[in-house]
Amino acid sequence: MKKLFTGPVLLLVTVLFIVGLLAACSSDNDEVNGSTENNGNNEEDNNQNNDSNDGDAAVSGDGDISGELEIQYFVGGYGDSWWKEVISDFEDQYPDITITEHAGPNINDEMRSRWVSDDPPDVVYIDGAGSSETQMVEDGQLLDLTDWINDVKAENGSPLLDNLIVEPARYDGDIYSLPLVFDTWGTWYNETQFEAEGYEVPTDFDSYMSTMEAIQENEGIAPFATTGQHPYYFLRGALTPAFGAAGGDELLADIVTGAEGVWEREEVVATMEKVAQMQEAGYIYDGFGAYNHTQSQMNFLLGDHSFIPVGFWLPNEMANDVPDGFEFGFIPTPMQDAGEPFAIVPDLRPLAIAENASNPEAAKAFVEFVFTQEYATAFSEHTGAIMNLMGVDLSDNENVPSYLIEANAMINDPDQVQIYHRPHPMSADLETPIGDALISLMLGNMTVEEFTEAAEDATADYRGE
Amino acid sequence: MVQTKKQKYLFLAFCLVPTFLLFSIFTLYPLFSGLYYSFFDWSGSAASMEFIGWGNYVRIFNDSIIPRTIMHDYFLVVTKVFGIMILATFFAVAIMQLKIKEAPFYRIIFFFPNIMSVVVIGILWTFIYNPSMGLVNSGLEFLGLGSLTRPWLGSETWALPSIVLPSIWAGIGLFMLMLMGGIGTISKSYYEAAELDGANEWQQFWKVTLPLIWPQIKVSILYIVITTLNGSFIIVQVMTGGGPNNSTHVMGSYLYQQAFVQYNFGYGAAIGVMILVLSLITIFILQIFLRRDKVQY
Repeated sequence: MKKLFTGPVLLLVTVLFIVGLLAACSSDNDEVNGSTENNGNNEEDNNQNNDSNDGDAAVSGDGDISGELEIQYFVGGYGDSWWKEVISDFEDQYPDITITEHAGPNINDEMRSRWVSDDPPDVVYIDGAGSSETQMVEDGQLLDLTDWINDVKAENGSPLLDNLIVEPARYDGDIYSLPLVFDTWGTWYNETQFEAEGYEVPTDFDSYMSTMEAIQENEGIAPFATTGQHPYYFLRGALTPAFGAAGGDELLADIVTGAEGVWEREEVVATMEKVAQMQEAGYIYDGFGAYNHTQSQMNFLLGDHSFIPVGFWLPNEMANDVPDGFEFGFIPTPMQDAGEPFAIVPDLRPLAIAENASNPEAAKAFVEFVFTQEYATAFSEHTGAIMNLMGVDLSDNENVPSYLIEANAMINDPDQVQIYHRPHPMSADLETPIGDALISLMLGNMTVEEFTEAAEDATADYRGE
Repeated sequence: MVQTKKQKYLFLAFCLVPTFLLFSIFTLYPLFSGLYYSFFDWSGSAASMEFIGWGNYVRIFNDSIIPRTIMHDYFLVVTKVFGIMILATFFAVAIMQLKIKEAPFYRIIFFFPNIMSVVVIGILWTFIYNPSMGLVNSGLEFLGLGSLTRPWLGSETWALPSIVLPSIWAGIGLFMLMLMGGIGTISKSYYEAAELDGANEWQQFWKVTLPLIWPQIKVSILYIVITTLNGSFIIVQVMTGGGPNNSTHVMGSYLYQQAFVQYNFGYGAAIGVMILVLSLITIFILQIFLRRDKVQY
């Protein structure tokens, strides 16, 4: 023992230990290349990304696309089967490309350190918790696509931009992303139950209230529920279309930008009065405040509630939990006055290229590759939702669920549904305090006046006053 | 076997340098980088950041949610200290003094929640509080107390008190064991002497047991206070996410929301510094209040 701890050996051991520690703590960029983060629930596709560590891609003189391409995509209600198909086809088309996928339900958090250290993936699909297109644009993380996208042509030879259902968001006139998924929030119900019990499918706010009254009397349940842990579900799923119906694009723009006095406007107060009416009549489930995303959807499927405002992901996400005989029915949230068409405000999930992408040419090729009729159709088949590309005929497609065909037909009929647009999504700094006050209003702990005051305070804070 | 001075210093270096290095990397570095980031306007998801001086600290004083989060934290501190200490002392004394046969069984049962992750406890109790199929409301209805049922975690009034119960349940076991260790060291002769002097069981508890296990009680209280101020955000995050309408937000969960949901990482770091300062002040004050002369019989 004495020999072991003599001076030089001891010193050597100490130095080695410290060097070892420092080495372990240093950054190692090579490790990042070629890594794959996949959702544990899904089949991993590591074979695609094992042998290429070529570093930055090269574009040869004739425009060939090669090298490594890193794609980050969130896996939520839409699953990842569509992504697997597209990526596999892209690799077949461009054999010199090796794709590294970073995917999963928590991928936005997992990849955060890459973005912070200015070593982002090349292509990013912006969706799910922990991601914000507005924030990424503000932070200068996304490539300005304006010049490039104007030259990109669709399969029919016309500019791709003319073929999108909804145009890309513009920040000071510049385009930083292309809306990939045309999602829209609406209200879901159980078609089987409505047919069996003879409940009327609502067409406006008055019929919505009368149907909820019938359900409350007949079933003895609170007909409406949403998640209280994420107040923005009601904000986006019910209030946003209601504001679209009441004040059009102009009101929506003022709401998302936090214009002074917007929550005191007559049409906004009238909409909030409708929410208060729902609460006072006992139609809003009083325990919704504790519901998280999954609980609210699960209790809806179990028949504890008859209406729930969520997006198109619902049937796909809950596919394994649907009780026998349950048929999904979808309507745009009926908050509009009698005699007016439904209102829909698209909620888009965009695809973007990182400002510091190491292979921007391959990234652009991938984005261009995705926006085709073939993959738009495949998207509806895989996810039960709609891709943001015009001219996709779903009416005779047996692989697409019936609710989507009905909803698609409804959305495309201006007599039934009017589509409104927000200039960009609402910032979390504005959405969070307004959502908090909204929960209080829906629980009956706040009056409409108190809510209006709280919402105005939130907009003042947001504007920095 | 006399060590030379050099050998002695080398041995000390061998013991201390790696420890200090690890402490620096995992404690001092995050502490000072947190302090550093609190002076920046930074989203936490990009490389760019802007120095804003005391801006985030000024914002803390103007944020109406901050006082609520502090109140909620101290509500949890007070209820947990009283709840855990009273029950842990009661169970420890009962198991040690009553000499019941099933003592080892109860020891395991009470300690069991300490083995479970806080996240699991949070999810478990979320089901227990579920308004439609949870144990609490079903139990109340079974007892004919249907009028007392309510959406516990969904109510702005009841959500925070509802979080206290699992926090106490999860904490009792560890402190019960600590107190049992203390009680075990008390010589039986003190109790015999007290009994001869005519002291009843209550008097024995107040005059013999409590003064002699005071060091353990003091450590337990300080430990509960520190872990609550620093760690209660986990159970809040799992059970309510800080809602409804911020009625359960504690400082830690609000920090998380600001830093990772609202992309105000710099502000979140400033809230972290506030938690550190408040924890230090609280512990300092508690040290004064809990100071007692060491009792020896």
